[in-house]
Amino acid sequence: MDPGTTTAPIPSDCETESSSIWNWWPSWRPTSMSLLKTAESKILACFQNNLWTRFVTLPNQDRIWTLTLTNKAVRKPAEQAIKTPLVMVHGFGGGIGLWIRNLDALCRSRPVYAFDLLGFGRSSRPPFPSDAAKAEEQFVDSIEQWRQSVGLENMILLGHSLGGYLATSYAIQYPSRVSHLILVDPWGFPERPQTQTGEGQSQGTEVVKRPQLPRWVKVVATVVSFFNPLAVIRAAGPWGPGLVNRFRPDFKRKFEDLFDDDTMTQYIYHCNAQTPSGEVGFRAMSESLGWAKRPMLQRVHLLPPSLPITMLYGEWSWVDKSSGDSVVQIRDQGHTRVMLITKASHHVYADQPEEFNRVVENICNSVN
Amino acid sequence: MFPLDSPWNISFAGCGFLGIYHIGVASCLLEQAPFLVHNARHIYGASAGALTATAVVSGVCLGETGANIINVAKEARKRFLGPMHPSFNLVKIVRHALQRTLPADCYKRATGRLGISLTRVTDGANVLVSHFNNKEELVQACVCSAYIPVYCGLIPPTLQGVRYVDGGISDNLPQYELKNTITVSPFSGESDICPRDTSTNIHELRFTNTSIQFTLTNLYRVSRALFPPDPMIMKTMCKQGYNDALHFLKRNGLLNFNGPLRDRPLLANGEDNEQYNNNEEEENSKGGEREEPPHVEEAVVVHSNFSEEEHIVVHLPPTLHKALIEACMERRSLVQSLGNLLPVRMASAMMVPYTLPLESAISLTLRLLEWLPDVQEDVGWMREQTMKILQHVFRQTSKSISQHMSARFSCQLELHHYQSLPSHLGSTKLFPNWMMRSSSSFQDVFNRLDHYKRQLLSGVLCINMDLQSSFDTGPMSPDKRSSSFTSTDGLIMRDCFEIAPAADSGDIINSSS
Repeated sequence: MDPGTTTAPIPSDCETESSSIWNWWPSWRPTSMSLLKTAESKILACFQNNLWTRFVTLPNQDRIWTLTLTNKAVRKPAEQAIKTPLVMVHGFGGGIGLWIRNLDALCRSRPVYAFDLLGFGRSSRPPFPSDAAKAEEQFVDSIEQWRQSVGLENMILLGHSLGGYLATSYAIQYPSRVSHLILVDPWGFPERPQTQTGEGQSQGTEVVKRPQLPRWVKVVATVVSFFNPLAVIRAAGPWGPGLVNRFRPDFKRKFEDLFDDDTMTQYIYHCNAQTPSGEVGFRAMSESLGWAKRPMLQRVHLLPPSLPITMLYGEWSWVDKSSGDSVVQIRDQGHTRVMLITKASHHVYADQPEEFNRVVENICNSVN
Repeated sequence: MFPLDSPWNISFAGCGFLGIYHIGVASCLLEQAPFLVHNARHIYGASAGALTATAVVSGVCLGETGANIINVAKEARKRFLGPMHPSFNLVKIVRHALQRTLPADCYKRATGRLGISLTRVTDGANVLVSHFNNKEELVQACVCSAYIPVYCGLIPPTLQGVRYVDGGISDNLPQYELKNTITVSPFSGESDICPRDTSTNIHELRFTNTSIQFTLTNLYRVSRALFPPDPMIMKTMCKQGYNDALHFLKRNGLLNFNGPLRDRPLLANGEDNEQYNNNEEEENSKGGEREEPPHVEEAVVVHSNFSEEEHIVVHLPPTLHKALIEACMERRSLVQSLGNLLPVRMASAMMVPYTLPLESAISLTLRLLEWLPDVQEDVGWMREQTMKILQHVFRQTSKSISQHMSARFSCQLELHHYQSLPSHLGSTKLFPNWMMRSSSSFQDVFNRLDHYKRQLLSGVLCINMDLQSSFDTGPMSPDKRSSSFTSTDGLIMRDCFEIAPAADSGDIINSSS
């Protein structure tokens, strides 16, 4: 129950902060790991079931902040042990706190694990290579090492957004560990359209073609691509939290029945205002404002046909839903289902939690 | 499918010159699913969205509205500095266009049905106006909603005696949070009807409720919201609005919902297979519509192939198309084409330093003349605002100065306290008992004093200055220090007595006596 329960032998959660001579200098960004911890504990206090949070230390000394939720009503843990656990991977810039409206419902039949991806949330923030394949490998390796450390034999893997991309990559490398792959609005599936002009010419002259973008837009894009995706939030310093509040009020609204204050936006701010690490990895894997360098549609065929996949999309989401259909076409032998959750944005799990939980629980029950 | 058993609303986002997109959307909705517009409980709009919403509610020909927008854009583009040129008076043009196009009884149709988002100047709060007493008020509400401060002018317009500016500043997509609001936005993002950019960018902003995805095309669109693009591009945007709205209707099974299947002039190019695909898809959606119960089925397995719909080419309704074409073509006069020649353009650009002051002077005089009837009211308002600002600034500075001073003062005091205690016990005996307590209570007393001082605003500065001067005398001898202490002591006592009537000063008085 206690969100602060950490069984790992590390005394301080704040040890990742730099201990340079500049420590006395007031920080430009009003954030720290302990502030993140405070914000997170406010969120985790809402859980109704048996909560266990801890750092899982990987062989390479990276630490993964892990949450385990088991059903309070089930007296003997053995009853749940036979069920395949559900592992949830959050998206870009998120953390375990975003699952607050889902985990309680999903842990009814089986234990649920959620963790902060390497380089995000409260997990370690190691440097990432700038090569797309290597960055992806580092993420996937951390997931595999995490699985070994936690001691899971196999799991139902659920990934949202960036988590969906990494979950797919993981399932390609370690298919035997995944009983069912659930992808919620996954990022990085479609390939970047190479020649838009050639496509337009083949359609004739009366095609509704988007106006050619002026050169300055491209210049801006080039400049922006030199920075980490969320550098603005860090550069804004003391105005950062206000910036998150101003430009992402939807997060506050999505969770307003749980928190009537800024808890959620604060959590998101503190998750992302720390030293960038996972962001660097994300930047390495993406190109030109958000296309994946190594799109998943080119690799989906590597998944064994026996591995069932379910793809959930939000109705309003900007994620291209047609890539789901492409996956179905590519995997014509395998079991693949594409579902659309109505009245949900990219954050399907927060917009329509009941529907989302029902769908995911059905999938889980179909496994065992 | 969109739930039609409960009342629904339509909300148009504010977007400056991209309002032409709304025209396309509205014409599509009116043509393909008129019941959706006519039976909507409310139609909301902010800024440019408010103009479209007004046009839709009052039944104005959308072609005319679209042509108006393009004409305004052309007017803005005509000058060297675009809309920033001093002789470009957006408010005047918009007001005239509205006066001309809106029917006389428009306010009756609009009252209770149209909601215009405005930002109140005094507190920045959002106001949704939906009651209009006459046509003038409706026009004025539209003008207020589109009044972007600085861009349109400096003195905000009034509606029913209250000053308002652009509704987009406080709420750009009114009532979007209601479950049954169809949101329309020309920026690609998470609205119901919006362009779908082929991008997988993870970043998304919410500009006062409007979801804007961080894509290159959106960046371009945002820049074009205030600096209008070429009329032909605007026409393309209008077409895209039509396309996206059609897509929305199709997705929700609303196409030809309770109307007969018409032979629509929808498909432009005669490619048979595309037409075939389209018809088939349409039938699919119709079929699905019949099968489905009226309430929403939450998770629907996707059947349709979205990428296919990208290529469907759409023709705008003939009236709208014609109006837009005319608006675009008008510029082909001899003088215009002469003016477009490179040497002429270069010459005019080089002449700008000379012509600009002249034009500015002329337009300024014109504006002043037009302003004359409102001068008294506006000047009064400006004086009021200036007074408010001055008061606020004064209060802020005096507050910060007093805080700064008292912080330095208490810091120094504490330092002296620590230094003097061990060596000069004798001298400290001079102080009254209450000053001999631990430094925390000492501090407390001064905090309290500071609090009172802040209340007695007028006295603050001189007292602080006094203290500052008494303490800034550098390294002091013990007797000097004690004298300075006594001086503060005296001050405190005086302060205490001055503020004796205040309710919670009792304990100080007690302890000092």
